[in-house]
Amino acid sequence: MSNRMAAFGGPGKKKLEWRRFRYPESLVSYAGWLIAFTVVVFSIEYLNIPLDRILGMLGRMGDILADRYYPPDIEYIMDMDYFGYVVETIQMAYLGALFGLIITIPIAWFASFNMTPSRRFVYPVARLFGMSCRAVHETIWAILFVSILGFGMLPGVLALTLFSAGFAAKLFAEEIERIDMGPVEAMRSTGANLFQIMLFGVWPQVRVAFTGIAIYTWDVAFRAATVVGFFGAGGMGWYLKRNVLQIETERVAAIILSIIVLVIISEALSAWARRAVMKMK
Amino acid sequence: MAVLKVTDLHARYSAKGPEILKGISFEVEENDFFAIIGPSGAGKSTLIRCINRLVEPTSGSIVFDGQEVTTLRRVELRRLRRDIGMIFQEFNLVNRMSVMDNVLSGRLGYTSNLRTLFRAFPREDIDHALSLLDRVGLIDHVDKRADQLSGGQRQRVGIARALMQDPKLMLLDEPTSALDPKISREVMELIKEMAQELKVPCLCNIHDVKLATECCNKIIGLQDGVTMFSGLTGDMNEEKLGEIYAMEVL
Ligand SMILES: Nc1ncnc2c1ncn2[C@@H]1O[C@H](COP(=O)(O)OP(=O)(O)O)[C@@H](O)[C@H]1O
Ligand SMILES: [Mg+2]
Repeated sequence: MSNRMAAFGGPGKKKLEWRRFRYPESLVSYAGWLIAFTVVVFSIEYLNIPLDRILGMLGRMGDILADRYYPPDIEYIMDMDYFGYVVETIQMAYLGALFGLIITIPIAWFASFNMTPSRRFVYPVARLFGMSCRAVHETIWAILFVSILGFGMLPGVLALTLFSAGFAAKLFAEEIERIDMGPVEAMRSTGANLFQIMLFGVWPQVRVAFTGIAIYTWDVAFRAATVVGFFGAGGMGWYLKRNVLQIETERVAAIILSIIVLVIISEALSAWARRAVMKMK
Repeated sequence: MAVLKVTDLHARYSAKGPEILKGISFEVEENDFFAIIGPSGAGKSTLIRCINRLVEPTSGSIVFDGQEVTTLRRVELRRLRRDIGMIFQEFNLVNRMSVMDNVLSGRLGYTSNLRTLFRAFPREDIDHALSLLDRVGLIDHVDKRADQLSGGQRQRVGIARALMQDPKLMLLDEPTSALDPKISREVMELIKEMAQELKVPCLCNIHDVKLATECCNKIIGLQDGVTMFSGLTGDMNEEKLGEIYAMEVL
C-alpha cells in the first residue's frame, strides 16, 4: 500500500473499490441489447423483406409520379374557392389549438404530480383523460365526430381540440413537475390556497414554457387540420378527397404540393416564434 | 403566556423511515429571539416546518396563540399560517416575478381568488409593501425581477414578504447560511431590529453558533432529533457546545 493510500485508508480499513461493471445490472443490460438485436434480425427474416424489390419499387414510383402527377395543376388551386378552404383549415387549426390549450391548463395542473389537488383521485383521472386524447388518432376523432355531428367545421374543430389537449397537456404537466418547489413552499406558508399558489408561485415559472408549447401545439394542429377534412370534417382535406375519388391526379398533386408548402411555412414560423419566446426567459 | 408551546414533538417522513424528531419540547415567549442550533441533519428544518405543518408531526402537541395546531383542518390551518411568517435559507422567491409581487405574495392569505387573478391588491397592502421595502433598503429595486438582485438583497425581499403578513411569530430556517459572513451579519442584524420594532417573537435555525450566541436570548441545541441543551444564551458554555457538535467533528 502506498503512503498516500495509507494516509486515508490506514491498515485494517476496508479497501476502496469502484468498477464500471456491476453485477447483475451490467449483465442484464448486455442481455437486453443482445435480445433487441436478435429480434431485429429475426423480424427481417420472418417478414422476408426483399430489399432489392423495395429499391425497384422506388424507381416505379418515380415513373408513376412523373407520368400521372406531373405537371401539378397549379392553376386549379389558384382559385378563390380553394383559397376559402385553406382559410377554413387555418381557422380550424387555430380554434382547435385554442380550445385545446384552454382545457390543457387545468388538465395539466391536475395531472402534475407535485401540484395536483389530490394525488389519489384527481391525478389519475386527469392523466387518464390526457392519455385517452392521445391514444385515439386525430383522424379517428374526426370520423367519430363527423358520425355524430355530420359534415362541417365543427367536428373538425372538436377533433383538433382533443388532439391538441392530449398533446399539450402532457408537455405542460411535465413542465409543471420540473418547477422549483421552494417558492411554492413559501407561499403555502403564508396561508395562500392552491389556486393562489398556482397563480403566484407556479405560473410565473412556467409561463415562457407554456407559450412555447402553445406555438408548438398550433403547428401540429395545423398539420392535423389538413387531413381531418378527408373524413368530412372541413378544410382542404375535403378538396383532396374529392379529387382523389375523381382520379384528377394532377389536381391532387397540386393540392398535396400546397399542403407541403403550407406546413413548411407554418413550421418555420413556429420555430422562429418559439426561439423568440425562449429568448424572453 | 407563551406564544408557542411545543410538547414532546415527534416526526418522521415516512412510516418505515427513521424518526427525525424524538420528543422535542420548548416554549417561545413574547420578545424571544429563540435559536435552534445543531449540526446539519439534526432535524432543525424539520422541527421548524412542523410548527406551521409544512411537515406533519407524527405525535406531540404544538400550541400557538392559544390554539392546538396539530389537529387543525385545512381551512383553519391556512388561517393559522397567515399569522406565522417564514424566511428560508434559499430565499424561495419567484425569480421571474418582480420584487413588488414577491413581497405582495405575503398577503395572499388575506386576498380573494379574484383579486389574486388580476393581481389587484388593496391600496393599503401596496403602501405597506412600499414602506417595508423602504425599511429593508430596496425601495430603488421595486420593479426589478427577483433574479436581478444579489443574495443579500434577495433575503431582504424574503424578510419583507414575511413581515407583509403582520405575523405573530417568525420562523427562520438558517436565514443567512447562503450568504457570505459580512452580509450574513447585516441581514441578521436587520431581522433582529425589525423583530424588535414590530414586537414579533422569532424562532430561528442557526448553524453558526457564534451568530446564535450574539443574536439570541434563548437556545435549544439539537442532535439527531434529541434536545441536548435548552436554556438561556448566558448558560451556554464551550463544554455543552462541544457535546452538541461532537457528532459533526468525528
Ligand atoms: N423531505 C424529506 N424526506 C425524507 N427525509 C428527509 C426530508 N427532509 C429531511 N429529511 C431527513 O431528515 C433529517 C433531518 O433533516 P433536516 O431537518 O433538514 O436537518 P437540518 O435542518 O438540521 O440540517 C436528515 O436526515 C434528512 O435526510
Ligand atoms: Mg436545514
